[in-house]
Amino acid sequence: MPISYFQAAVLGLLQGVTELFPVSSLGHSVILPKLFGWHIDQSADYFLTFLVATHLATALVLLGFFRRDWVRILEGLGRSLRDREIAPGDTDAKLGWLLVVGTIPAGLLGITLQDKLRSLFGSPQYASIFLALNGLLLFGAELLRRRAPVTEDDDDARIARTVGWRDATLVGAAQSIALVPGFSRSGASMAGGLIVGLSHKDAARFAFLLATPIIGAAAVLKLPDLAGSKGNGVRGPALVGALCAALTAYLAVRFLMRYFETNTLLPFALYCAAAGTAAAVYFAVS
Amino acid sequence: MNRRALASIAVVLGIALIVIAIVYWVEPAKSLPSFFPGHQAGSNHHHAKHGIAAFLVGLACLAFAWFNTGPKRARPA
Repeated sequence: MPISYFQAAVLGLLQGVTELFPVSSLGHSVILPKLFGWHIDQSADYFLTFLVATHLATALVLLGFFRRDWVRILEGLGRSLRDREIAPGDTDAKLGWLLVVGTIPAGLLGITLQDKLRSLFGSPQYASIFLALNGLLLFGAELLRRRAPVTEDDDDARIARTVGWRDATLVGAAQSIALVPGFSRSGASMAGGLIVGLSHKDAARFAFLLATPIIGAAAVLKLPDLAGSKGNGVRGPALVGALCAALTAYLAVRFLMRYFETNTLLPFALYCAAAGTAAAVYFAVS
Repeated sequence: MNRRALASIAVVLGIALIVIAIVYWVEPAKSLPSFFPGHQAGSNHHHAKHGIAAFLVGLACLAFAWFNTGPKRARPA
């Protein structure tokens, strides 16, 4: 069996946490197997198929966690299409279109650059260096962030009022940096959110809403691989990995939505800088 | 450029991109027109991702045209 059930459980638990914590799931999935001495061919079809299952699980958890928001957003999108305008007070419609506008650049860049970037920078050495740089990116976002005004609005309404169309495009495009193993998708979009004036909590919320269609679509696109011959021998571990990823993703999103009510990205910045540097040094000398 | 002209261009572009998306999904790389990115003589690979990208941008163009030609809201006095 190319991936044991134990390895699948560990990688699944890791994926659920690191996909949502701003610390790069891809970077960790490249670095840690190498550190553990696991001989997993990460460019092999079976591993990519395994990742599809864990990503799908994470996307479903995000969809479930924010289900009420998504229902409102979809209703808002429907209203705006029917009326052929986004009514000034319709924050659900505005948020929905902000998510569409933010998803397009990330989707296009992902589709066109994903394979090239992963083959160029997919080694644990590169991933360690980029993980350290991810720490600097988070730290920089904390330095550059604008102070968010305190308002009594509903969370989604506040995001819709603060984020403009250009901001949504930039935050969406910023997610694409996560195509490089070591940089975090949620970290990049939270950093973007902070810089355009969102609070930590709203930046995290916007990042998770923005991540759901991208992670889900990327997984759904590759789902036929799991059902086809590329999934042979890996379906059992993929199911275990997906369940573990779903569990930790749920715990992670619950934790982070409370954590960012009062805390900042700094601990994650320090962790990425330290872990990335340590791993880079280890790989250089070993 | 006025709104209607801009919307007309967006509609034409949107439809063209959706047609291009269908060509990417239906035709293997060897049968794509030579000026299409991804054309490769002798390859049976389908560039599904190129198709998705073209389709998404096409939809975005049509959505832009849809909103741009909607009724104008009367300003409150």
